[in-house]
Amino acid sequence: MKTRGICVLLAWLIPASALAQDAQPSPSSQPAPQSQAAPGPSRLWIVAGGASATLRGHCQDCGQDFPFRHGSSVVANGGYRVSSRLDVGADVFWVKWHNESGHIYGTAINAVAQFRPWASKGFFVKGGAGMAFVRNFVRTLGSNPDDQKALSVVIGGGWEFKVKGRLGFQLFAMQHVGALGDLQTVNGSISNVTANFWSVGGAIVIR
Amino acid sequence: MRYVRPLAVLLVVGLVTARSAAAQEQTVSSPAQSAPAPDQTGSAAVTAKDERRACDGCPPRRIGMSLLQVTGINVMYEIANLARGQVTAHISPKSWWENMQQGWVWDLDDFTVNQIGHPYQGNNYFNAGRANGLNFYESAAITAFGSATWEFFGETNHASLNDFINTTLGGITLGEMFHRAGWLIRNTEATGKPRLWSEIGATALDPITGLNRFVSGDASRVSAKPAEFVPSSVAGVASAGVLWRGSQSSAFTGPGDPFLEVDLYYGDTNTGRSREPYDAFWLRMRFGGGSAFSEARVRGRLFGRPIRKGALQFSVIQTYNYQNNDAYSTGSQAIDAAFGTTFKLSERTNFWVLGWGGLTVLGAVDSLPLGLTEKPEEEEPSAGQGVSEGPRFYDYGPGSDFGGLARLVRDGRDVALFFYVGRQIYSLDGVRANHFLQHARIDLLFPLRGPLGLGVSGEYFDRRSFYQDPAQTKQSYHYPQVRGYFTWRR
Repeated sequence: MKTRGICVLLAWLIPASALAQDAQPSPSSQPAPQSQAAPGPSRLWIVAGGASATLRGHCQDCGQDFPFRHGSSVVANGGYRVSSRLDVGADVFWVKWHNESGHIYGTAINAVAQFRPWASKGFFVKGGAGMAFVRNFVRTLGSNPDDQKALSVVIGGGWEFKVKGRLGFQLFAMQHVGALGDLQTVNGSISNVTANFWSVGGAIVIR
Repeated sequence: MRYVRPLAVLLVVGLVTARSAAAQEQTVSSPAQSAPAPDQTGSAAVTAKDERRACDGCPPRRIGMSLLQVTGINVMYEIANLARGQVTAHISPKSWWENMQQGWVWDLDDFTVNQIGHPYQGNNYFNAGRANGLNFYESAAITAFGSATWEFFGETNHASLNDFINTTLGGITLGEMFHRAGWLIRNTEATGKPRLWSEIGATALDPITGLNRFVSGDASRVSAKPAEFVPSSVAGVASAGVLWRGSQSSAFTGPGDPFLEVDLYYGDTNTGRSREPYDAFWLRMRFGGGSAFSEARVRGRLFGRPIRKGALQFSVIQTYNYQNNDAYSTGSQAIDAAFGTTFKLSERTNFWVLGWGGLTVLGAVDSLPLGLTEKPEEEEPSAGQGVSEGPRFYDYGPGSDFGGLARLVRDGRDVALFFYVGRQIYSLDGVRANHFLQHARIDLLFPLRGPLGLGVSGEYFDRRSFYQDPAQTKQSYHYPQVRGYFTWRR
C-alpha cells in the first residue's frame, strides 16, 4: 500500500515536471538579447518525491527507550539557485505513521540551504531549521485532541543525477528532528520531548 | 588506555593522509612550484600558475583538505577531553551506533560551555573551510559537517540538538568575524619580524587559518591582501571605566565594578550594497562589570541593499548574542531584517537610525523552577567528569527579537548613542515559560584630546517570565545601571 502510494505520487509528478520543462520558453521563440549571450540557467529549484521514514521519540527525564516506528513520507523543496553550488529555499516533509491507537501525521517546514561541494558532481548536503506540526499526537494518546507545534531541524545529503535538460533525479537520506517541548497524554504531561525522523527516498528535480 | 590507541592510530592515519594530500596538491601545482620563488620574482607568477588560488594572496582551494582538517579538529578536541579525564570521551563504534540510533536530544551541559564553548569550536570548523579557500557559504556547510560529526562520533553522550545549532550558527558568526579580524592584523606585504608578528597576532584570533599559512609557507610569502578582506572602513573603540548596578528594590547601593568594553566597526553597515556576507559587521565584547565576561554581540551583514533611491538601507543580519547580568543570562543565535536611514543634520553632523526584527533560531535563558528562589549548589556528577546529569538551570527555545539603534555622529565621532533590544524566548526544553528580556542603553560621549574621550551611560535591564503552570505565574526583575568611562578610538 505504501509502495503503491509512492509510485502513484511519482507517476503524477513525472508528467508535471515534464510539463514544467515544456513550459520553459524555447530559445527560438525569444528575442535575442542585445549582447547575444546565451541565456543563463534557471534560478528555479524544485524537488518533489517520496521516502520511507523511521521515527523514534525521546524524552529527557523519562529514562526509558522508545520503539522505532515506520511510515511513508512525501518530500518537497522549492527555492532559488544562488550559485552553481548553492540552493536556498523551503523544505516540506510530510510523514504518516501509526501506533497501537491509530495514525499520526507530522509536517515539517524548514528554511534550507543545499550545498554541492563539487559543482560538477551530484553529491549534495543540506541543512535547515523551521517548524514542525504534529497532528493527532494527542488524540491517539490522550483525551483532548490537539495539534502540537515544534522546533524543527533537518540535515541530510544525497546524490543528484541529471536526466535531460532541467529534469533530474535525486536519491537522498535525511534526518528531521522535532523538538516538541511538552507532550500532553492521558497520564499527564511529558516534558522535553524530541522526535527524530530518518528518511531514505528519491525525488524528481527541476532546475 | 584502550581508547588512546585507536585514537593515536586515527591521528597518525589523518596526518599521513593530510601529508599525502598535500603532496598530491603540490604535484598538481608543480609548475608553480618549479617557478622561481614569488618573493624573488613578484607574485604574478603564482597567480598565473596556481589556478586553485582565487587571487594572489588567497589560499588554494582544497575542499578535501578542509573536510580532513575538520575531522582533525574533532580528533584534537577528543584527545583534549581524554586528557582531561572526561568519561564522555571514551568513544567506540558502539557509542557511535547508539548515538545514531537515538538521534538528536537536548543536553544538560553548563551554560557557558553551550553558549560560548560550542560556538568557539564551530568557529574552528568554519575557518578550516576559509583557510582552504572556501567561500562563506561553503564554509558554513563545513561547519555543519564538523558539528554533526562531533555530536554523533566525538562523545559518548547522545547527539545534542542545542549543541548542533549553537556550534553551527555560532561558529559561522564567530568564525567569519575572527577570520576577517585576523586579516585586519595580517600584513601580507611586510617581511621580517613585523610580518612574523602580524601573522602570529592573526593566528591568535584565527588559529586554523594561521596554522595553515605557516605550514603552506603563505605566512612568509609576499602578496597583496585579498580584496574581500579589505573593509570599506574600520574603527575600534575601547572603553574602560566603572559601572554601578542598581537593584529592583534600591538603586546604586553597591560598590562600582570596573569594566573594559571593546567595539569593532568593520565596514559600513549603514550604506551601500553588500559585496559578500560579513563585509560589514559590528562586534562588542565586555569584560568585568559584575562577571569576568559579561557581554558579547556580533551582528554580521549577510545582505545589504539601498532602497528608495538610497533613502533607506535594507539589511539581513546574522547575530550572536551572549549576556550575563543581574537580570538574566542569555545566549542566542538569530537572523534579523533591518531598515536604516541617515539624516544629514549639518555638514558635520549626521543622525543614523536603525530598526530591526527577526527570528531567534535558538535562545537560552537562565531559569529556576517555580518554588526555587536561588540556584542550589551543584554537586559533583556521580557519573564522572563530562557527564551532565542535570538539573540544568536554564531553558532553551526559539523566539523572536526586535530592536533599534540611533547614533548622533559629529565629525565622524559618536556624540550620542541609543540602543534597545527586546528578545522573546519560548521555552521548549526546561521550565515551560515565555521569557521576555529587554535592554535599553543611552550613551553620551565627549571628545577630550586626539583619540581620547569621556563617556557616561545609563542602562536598564528588564526580565519578565510567564510560566505556563496552572496558576499562570508571572515573575519579573529589573534594575538600572550607570557608568562612567574613558574611550580610546582608532
